[in-house]
Order: sequence, then C-alpha cells, then structure tokens
Amino acid sequence: MSDGRERRGSFWRDNSLTLAFGAAFLVTLACQAIAGHAEFNEQLTVDGLQPLGFADYVTSSDFAVDVTENWQSEFLQFFLYVFGTVYLVQRGSPESKKVHRAGPESEEEQWMGDHSRADSPRWAGTKDWRQTLYARSLGIVMGSLFVLSWLAQSITGTAAYNGQQLRRLEDPVSWSGYLATPNFWDRTLQNWQSELLAVAAMVVLSIYLRQRGSPESKPVGAAHTATGVEG
Amino acid sequence: MLLLCALGLAVCGCGAPAAREDAAGRAGLAFEEALATGDHARACALLAPSTREQLEQDEQESCTRALPAEELPRAVGLRGVEAYGRQALVRMSGDTLFLSLFTGGWKVVAAGCTPQPDQPYRCLVKGT
Repeated sequence: MSDGRERRGSFWRDNSLTLAFGAAFLVTLACQAIAGHAEFNEQLTVDGLQPLGFADYVTSSDFAVDVTENWQSEFLQFFLYVFGTVYLVQRGSPESKKVHRAGPESEEEQWMGDHSRADSPRWAGTKDWRQTLYARSLGIVMGSLFVLSWLAQSITGTAAYNGQQLRRLEDPVSWSGYLATPNFWDRTLQNWQSELLAVAAMVVLSIYLRQRGSPESKPVGAAHTATGVEG
Repeated sequence: MLLLCALGLAVCGCGAPAAREDAAGRAGLAFEEALATGDHARACALLAPSTREQLEQDEQESCTRALPAEELPRAVGLRGVEAYGRQALVRMSGDTLFLSLFTGGWKVVAAGCTPQPDQPYRCLVKGT
C-alpha cells in the first residue's frame, strides 16, 4: 500500500485498486440484478402470477436478501481475519505476522502513545479512550458492518420468505420465527463456509506459492519458512 | 452508504406499508361482497387469471357458472391482512383468502382456504 512519503501520481493511478474493485462491484451488482430479475420472474410465471418490473425487483426484499446474505459473510470474513490474526499465526504465511509477535503487541511496536511518530494518526498519539478506540477501529467497523448486514439479511429475508410462503398458500412467519427457519441458516452458513475456506486456502497456499509483485504474496525468492514477509 | 440503503430498503421497501394492506383488504372484501350479493361476474373479475382458468378447466364451465357451485363460505368482517411484496393473506370471519397484486389491482389467488397442520392451506378455489 502507498506510504505518505511516496511521491503522489495521478488520482487514477494512486487509487486504482479501490476504483477498479469499486467499479467491478457496481457492474457485478447490476448483472446480479438482471439475472435475479429474470429468475424471479420465471418463478412468478410458473406460479401464474404477474412478473415484476426491473425497478420493482431491485427494490424488493427478494433482491435485497440475495445481496445482503453475501455482504454479511464478506464483512464477517474480514472481521475475523483482522481480529483473528492478532492472536493466531501461521508459520510461513505472508498473511500472518511473525510467530513470536502473536497478541496485541507493545505500544512501541504499534507506534502508539509516547511512541507515535510525526505522521501518525492523531488519536494514535493520545493516551485515553481515543487511542483505545482508534487502536481497534478497523475490527470494530468490520464487525459492525457484519452485524448490520446480517440484520438486513434477516429483515429482508423474512419479507422474501413470507412472500414465498404466501405463494405456496402457507402462513407467514415473524422475524424471530424466520431466524429459526432452515432458509435463514442455509443462506447464512453457505456463505460462511465459503469465506472460511477461502481464508484457510489463502493462508496455507501462500506459504508455498508466489505471485510476483503482489503484496498478498511473499517475494518469489522468499523461503517457505519466512513468516510475515510481504512482496 | 450502500449498507444504509439496504437497511432502508429492508425497513421501508420490504415490509407491508399500510396502503398496500388496505388495498388488499378492500379487494378481499369486494370479492366476498360480490359472492354474497350473487354478483358472480364481479367475483370472477376479482380472481387471478390462473385461478379463474383453473376453475373453468376443472368444472368445464364458465367462471360465473362454476364459482357458485364451489359453495365458498360466506365471510363478513375483516380480521387481519398481512402483505409481503406483491402477495397478501386476508383473514375474514368465515374465510381466508390469498391475493396477489396484478396491473389491475389485487386479485384473489385462492379462496375458501382452511389451515392444515404443517401443510399449505386447503382451498376450494385456487390456481395451478
């Protein structure tokens, strides 16, 4: 990642990672909406009901639950990764810090309080609640985004599930009733397992495999035993 | 920001605004009133297309002739409406109806419905 002392290039070059992934996200979300709309209308037609317009579909609970069930698992993945890698290590992986540094580390190692530097964020140099909060801000925000998106999944999921229940001539359920349905847990767990698999695969594969130039990989010539070294 | 939009949609767009429930309830009441007054043409017009087709196919008669033969229970007061998206359940004293939203408004998908334990409602009139 860029460091404040690097000479700044153009806006597009300096932010290409965020811009590329942000644009790809929007394109993919639009494609998901198109595919989801077609699939949902196929089902409505089979049930003898009126198909939905595109605008109605993208503001429906059916689209919202499909989107938020994936969001929650992604934020959970990053929350667990940010928080878990404080204490858990993997010898030889660039995704892990060095084995002997497991834990929150000292203020000196983290450039906090009296050890903050001239260009450190202001709250890192404080010694009160601001430092405590800022020192955990990434995990807190990722954890909060996970909880909010999981809550959104549960609310939109209740409405979507109840629409399906009514199409099947069955009673709707309450929000708490929905949390006990297989539908809610199937949507949730199928995403969790894939995220956890991807993290575990990345941690292990990056011990032995390399991607030249990627900070997610060790340098090509680094030893398999080298831990916490990014290329 | 996107997450806030999703939460907003979850709260505002996916629930059951009162206007939607009111409209579904009015359609249910209109269907029952048409049945009670013997206005079967109006009652048939309030059936969803697939429900009407199924009824005519099952009975080999026009809807206006087939519907009275189904002897749907007489319903009076509205007991409650639950709407999710474009589907609604209208509970009345004497009958339960399932409705769906079409271009022409709410239409009855199933009528004369009684709950079954751990099963879909059993309905005297319903679509495919």
